[in-house]
Amino acid sequence: MPFGMWISFRSSCARPGDQSDYMRTLLRFIQKYSNHLLFLFLEAIAILLIVRSSYYQQSRFVNMNRQINGFIYNQVDGAREYLSLKKVNQRLAEENMQLRNRVEQISSQLDTTQVIRRYREPVQFYYVPSRIVHNSVYKQYNYITIDQGKKDGIFRDMGVISDQGLVGIVLESSNHFSTIIPIINRDFRLNVKIKSSNFAGILFWDGASPLFARLAEIPFHADLTEGDTILTSGYSAIFPEGIEVGMIDSFTLKSGNFYDIRVKLFTDFQSLFHVNVIRNYRQQEQINLEENTRQ
Amino acid sequence: MNIVARNIFRLIVVVLFQVLVIDNIMINGYMVPYIYLLFLILMPFETPRWLQLLAGFVLGLSIDLFENTPGMHTAATVLVAFLRPYLLNLLAPHDGYEPETFPRIHYYGFNWFLKYTLVVVVIHHFALFYLEVFQLRDFLSTLLRVILSSILSVSIIVLSQYFVFRK
Repeated sequence: MPFGMWISFRSSCARPGDQSDYMRTLLRFIQKYSNHLLFLFLEAIAILLIVRSSYYQQSRFVNMNRQINGFIYNQVDGAREYLSLKKVNQRLAEENMQLRNRVEQISSQLDTTQVIRRYREPVQFYYVPSRIVHNSVYKQYNYITIDQGKKDGIFRDMGVISDQGLVGIVLESSNHFSTIIPIINRDFRLNVKIKSSNFAGILFWDGASPLFARLAEIPFHADLTEGDTILTSGYSAIFPEGIEVGMIDSFTLKSGNFYDIRVKLFTDFQSLFHVNVIRNYRQQEQINLEENTRQ
Repeated sequence: MNIVARNIFRLIVVVLFQVLVIDNIMINGYMVPYIYLLFLILMPFETPRWLQLLAGFVLGLSIDLFENTPGMHTAATVLVAFLRPYLLNLLAPHDGYEPETFPRIHYYGFNWFLKYTLVVVVIHHFALFYLEVFQLRDFLSTLLRVILSSILSVSIIVLSQYFVFRK
């Protein structure tokens, strides 16, 4: 159709005549194909949004909408949460038990070792518990909305974990809500390492299953075994080192130099209700330092 | 109710139903139904083309805003809105569409509506899923997603004709 349009445009323009004649044919052309032009114009806007998606995500309009969406999702989410109370309860009990064990361990250490008090400073990482109000799993670009935002001290690029393991990174926040980009989003990238050997690679998602992610850039001389745990590397300022991500499910040697590793994720995104957002009090310091060094 | 007001009301209901109910139905990654096209499908025959395009744009954009996707639903929905008049021409019965009727099962029967919905939904899902992936690497698995999701979407849309839009 556009090709035919072009031909008719060319042929109508090719007629000899003065300038007003051209104008008239041009106007007639616009009139005749106004719907096509409107179609192309609207598609152009849509394509522009897709191509410049990072600007889209940060735009004021989308931010305002985040507030509205959050409110609507929040109203509806009660039902979903109520239906899964049993599961949540069970998981909380498990976490409780683990924490109690942890306390036992640490308190026994405190008894026997002397704590050297250097200078007082706040802890580096602080966890803000939040509730998920909206969550998608089976799309290519999944997002999670939580019920806390700027007013609760949550800003972009903060890490998000659950009691099971790593969840994702805060993409944007409005006053009372934030969107999280979880591991199961095709835009997600994170530096992780293998627990046993400390080799670091890039974790990403291929869009196939919400249970598995992929790990790339592990060199061929690394010693891998199925079931090895994958942890955050702590190279970025987003996550502290050693948060559990998943375990190696299977691996193949891809084109000689690097492994292609399938990682079973610890976090079950399909039944996720509560997450913790990590505030890193030294995040800005680290980012500033790294940027200064690069210059 | 006035036909314009009724359509605006329908737009809001369809969008909310999509994001609050349908999006919570998670079967698996290959079956992701999008039923919001119902709004475009049911638009009156004599709607001016520019209005159909703008309506498609508004519909796609509102879904995009809820799903956090940049422009993908908008692009696919505008495409469908553009092609719909051609499709309706192709599927027109011998003596054309009668005035005072709407594109529904009630007026034109199950077979007609199924054909019509199927083409609209497949075009839309095809455009949407390939835009989402934005590459041809996963061509076959994406195609499978298009087919399975289309089947589900079409079923829900056709069923809605018996339960919601009976009249």
